[in-house]
Amino acid sequence: MFELDVRSRKPIYEQLITNIKQLIVSNVLQPDEKLPSVRMLSKQLTINPNTIQKAYRELEREGYLYSASRKGYFVAPIELVSNDQKLSELKEHIQELLKEAVYFGLTKDELERWFNEIQEGGASSDPNRKSDEDI
Amino acid sequence: MIQIEKVTKTYENEKALHGISLSVGKGSIYGLLGTNGAGKTTLLKILAGIYRPDEGNVKVDNQPIYENVKLKEKVVFISDNLYFFPQATIEQMAAYYRSFYPSWNEERYQTMQKVFQINPKRKLQRLSKGMQRQAAFWLSLSAMPEVLILDEPIDGLDPVMRQKIKNLLFQDVADRELTVVISSHNLREIEDICDHVGIMHRGNIVVEKDLDDLKSDTHKIQAAFSSEEQEQRILEQLTVLHQEKRGSVLLVIAKGQKEAVEHIVHSSKPLVFDLLPLTLEEIFIYEMGGIGYEIENILL
Repeated sequence: MFELDVRSRKPIYEQLITNIKQLIVSNVLQPDEKLPSVRMLSKQLTINPNTIQKAYRELEREGYLYSASRKGYFVAPIELVSNDQKLSELKEHIQELLKEAVYFGLTKDELERWFNEIQEGGASSDPNRKSDEDI
Repeated sequence: MIQIEKVTKTYENEKALHGISLSVGKGSIYGLLGTNGAGKTTLLKILAGIYRPDEGNVKVDNQPIYENVKLKEKVVFISDNLYFFPQATIEQMAAYYRSFYPSWNEERYQTMQKVFQINPKRKLQRLSKGMQRQAAFWLSLSAMPEVLILDEPIDGLDPVMRQKIKNLLFQDVADRELTVVISSHNLREIEDICDHVGIMHRGNIVVEKDLDDLKSDTHKIQAAFSSEEQEQRILEQLTVLHQEKRGSVLLVIAKGQKEAVEHIVHSSKPLVFDLLPLTLEEIFIYEMGGIGYEIENILL
């Protein structure tokens, strides 16, 4: 369930947080679903239980999880997750990618077209490919 | 769980510890790093109650450890030089541990034979170095200590066995809040195991922190700017531990909050900008460089 890279520079607890967030956002972990206990996860992944505890606590603070005393941690219903915070996180990533795209000649119109495609629900990737070839 | 306050220790004319203070919480895994001869082993032996500190206090569970038999029943120390009785088999050593540690768990001892797969009737001196280490862990973990002190524990263990032993340690930490203090030079290994680290140099603690905080507090920055002035400007604003130039790319190791560092660099409109977390090894090297223990001396 969790894919961790112990050789990565990223601290393990950050990797855990990113991983769990992804699982929640993509609905693999459903609202009110119980997360594996600290003990279990530590044993499965051979990771310091304190690190897992810390990641869970941080996710609780950010509103992704809630804890029931002594019963463990559960996925919070999505309304509880603050959208603003998530958006500002995503903004960083998107801007990073945009910078590169702009360098390779992305225009505002083109970007808008991409945006519309997503809103229309996926749509074909053909226009993209064409514009790649143009460059 | 463990409090060390202003401990000093002098051998003959040589001062090994210069008033060290540190504390380890219950259920925490504390990594003690340091340069050679920094005093790690001395500190661990004081912590285990083997040496008496010249000055200062060492308390485990709020009691002084030195000559405290009741307390020592809860503390197990695995030294870097293992000691077993001459000619003893694992079974015989187990009998000795059983008599010394009241919390000895026989069931556990039997179960763990599956992990280590060494015949307990074998003489310890006939075993390889790595197998002797395994036996030491086997005996120590069967004694169900509350505090486990490990001096260079990973030496000589194969990767599979390391993973197994780590797993056993983590289970004890999760289940019964075992407190572990580990010294090692293998920073990769420490990075995976510990949640807190202390770095020692010449009898002092140089850095002591939560490992994740330490990592999120120091950054490696690779950036290129269009002019020298911009470069200078960000260097003045950052807390720089180390800097070097590779071609037109500036490499800086800086301390501070990630957001703050990013803000400073972005305000100078860098052409290229990359911010990476440091590995523990890099933190160690740059911290040591900062206090005059140069990098050239550490890299082999």
